[in-house]
Amino acid sequence: MISRQSLIVARWEFLRFFKWKQQLISYLLMLAVMGGVFAWVYLTDESRQQYRIAVPGSVVVQNTEQFEFQRPSIDLSQQLQQLRDHQTWHAVLSYQDGSWVLHTGASSKWLPQLEQVLQSYFQLQRAGDFGLTDAQLTELQQPAPIERSFLDDDFKGEDTPEKMIAFAVLILLLIGLSTAFGQILMSITGEKQQRVTEQLYAILTPQQWMDGKVLGHSLSALKAMLTTTLVMLVFFLVVSVLVAGEAMDLSWLNWWVILWLIPFALAGVLLCACFMGAIAASIDDPNTSGKGVVMMVTWLPLLFTYLVIDSPSGWAMTLLSWLPVTSFAVMPVRMSMVEVPWWQLSLSLALLLATVYYMRRLGGRIFLRGMQMYGKEPSWGDIMRWALSRKAD
Amino acid sequence: MQLRIDAVTKQYATVTAVNQVSFQIQSGEIFALLGPNGAGKSSIIRMLVGMTKPDAGSISVCYQDQTFHHVPRRLLGYLPEDRGLYGDKSVEKNLLFLAQLHGLGKTEALSRMDHWLEVFELTERRHDDLKQLSKGNQQKVQLIAAVLHKPALVILDEPFSGLDPINQEKVVDFLKQLKQNGMTVILSAHQMAMVEKLADRMVLMAKGEVVLAGTLAEIRQQAQPEVQIQLSSKVPLPADWLRSLEAVTAVEMHQPEQALLTLQRDAEVGPVLQQLLGRIEPEQIAMQKPDLHQLYLNAMSRHQGQTPQEAAA
Repeated sequence: MISRQSLIVARWEFLRFFKWKQQLISYLLMLAVMGGVFAWVYLTDESRQQYRIAVPGSVVVQNTEQFEFQRPSIDLSQQLQQLRDHQTWHAVLSYQDGSWVLHTGASSKWLPQLEQVLQSYFQLQRAGDFGLTDAQLTELQQPAPIERSFLDDDFKGEDTPEKMIAFAVLILLLIGLSTAFGQILMSITGEKQQRVTEQLYAILTPQQWMDGKVLGHSLSALKAMLTTTLVMLVFFLVVSVLVAGEAMDLSWLNWWVILWLIPFALAGVLLCACFMGAIAASIDDPNTSGKGVVMMVTWLPLLFTYLVIDSPSGWAMTLLSWLPVTSFAVMPVRMSMVEVPWWQLSLSLALLLATVYYMRRLGGRIFLRGMQMYGKEPSWGDIMRWALSRKAD
Repeated sequence: MQLRIDAVTKQYATVTAVNQVSFQIQSGEIFALLGPNGAGKSSIIRMLVGMTKPDAGSISVCYQDQTFHHVPRRLLGYLPEDRGLYGDKSVEKNLLFLAQLHGLGKTEALSRMDHWLEVFELTERRHDDLKQLSKGNQQKVQLIAAVLHKPALVILDEPFSGLDPINQEKVVDFLKQLKQNGMTVILSAHQMAMVEKLADRMVLMAKGEVVLAGTLAEIRQQAQPEVQIQLSSKVPLPADWLRSLEAVTAVEMHQPEQALLTLQRDAEVGPVLQQLLGRIEPEQIAMQKPDLHQLYLNAMSRHQGQTPQEAAA
């Protein structure tokens, strides 16, 4: 059970790093940056403009929305001069030494599109030379349709909305864990540097202290994840509803999947916070200790998930979705891509929660033993011995 | 509350920090642990707090018919030697946080805080971040944090260190006030003059062992059984005659007209004074009473087989 004192520590820790004015400003800035990027992409989209292209008289290519082809009577050198002077032409096509040359000022985003239009024109010309009709050429250009048929009834499909949600959760977990990483390291080692720990020990048990820390920083991680979700949602709504004029449609959300995602994500954040807390408690001085890097191990489950995502029914993903140290990231992705029986989900979650409990106890034990070493940092051997010890504190 | 330490030993790797130490502390008294660095004071305090356990011997704390092996957290107010609070938070927030951890409600905590901030003249600084305060003022805040919840026992490890003489006096008053409020106080210190004013009983420690223990009078008796007589006259004193007196073991001539006589242990002072007054017409004659600092140095020197000057060095 979480004690009242742990809750006080959790509140203190959460509020220590929660500067609501700065948070608000940073989210407004984030929204402004996203808006700015969107506006920049929109305004610099060259495909919405029309370009004038000079082609030789023999080339009778039809104009498109993007390209207007003209056959000027002036010679090539004059055309190129006009191109250099940024007059009249955006590109000039010429036939030199048996091949077509496309002259432009510099590389542009619309050039591949122009080349595609010209390629279609020349292919059409060649087809005419071979005596093919337009319809035959069109048929020839179509790729042979190959459909994928999946015999595994549990597989939901390749690009399902659930998979997108699972991906979003992975990204949110990364944001949450990054937040927790910095805060836990700073909070626990900072307390040691400021010499608060011994005073706190006289008031609450190491376990109460560790529980409060883990809870407080997990809340911070969840807050970061939640606010990022809200910011993304607001941005999505603004773009889709206000800019694109579409109706708000959330029918693609699979609430069953989301219902399972939440406890896995919560337990995952708690597990990682416990692990980070345990490692941070073993660090005496963050400036000289190399242990802080180990806290980044908590990001590995996210990487593993990404590596096995293309084989949702494979043994690797199945194994990782059962392992308590990776299941919080892997199981949500697996269940979003294949049907997973509820008992498997429950068992995996139970294993994960049991590991959270063990890691929480270990964190408390490391904090106590580390403090008893009076400034001497415990070795990995010490930590392993404490981890395997069943001796009560 | 009664606290009993019985033949406690604590070893760290190859160092014996505390060796067979025993003493008792009674309810409502101010008890001082004295000794040089490395004497074992903080090791004892950490065992009392429960941070470490004795390798041998026992600690028992009796409170309201219950016995504990270390001071229960709810009864304890603690100022560690290695101390600090959250520098980026205000005085009030720091104190409120610790008070709430001790189980105080916000209103009660703020009301008690008002009193102690007033006592330490820190009322104006309550909303300042702790790091903006001087080291001495930060220490006062930590003292307040240790007693805000009115603990039955207050353990203060080096409460005078880092304080100027004026603030040291304030801490003396503060500790007296705690005693008046019925709290038991254990403190470790180097500042003998402060301890002399305060402590009901004390132990002097060296290298993990108790050298002397008791009240100040008892310590005097143990550490300085020889009586010393300070003598001055308008004319030069007869040094050889003084040395020839039967009860006198040593004569220090500070000037030809001033001498310090050390008498044999258990010597009767009256006959010696009669002999002196029969031969000399003294301008001043006084029995010298050593202060705690001198007693401390004497005890240390005796324990370490050094002269008091060497012990002081």
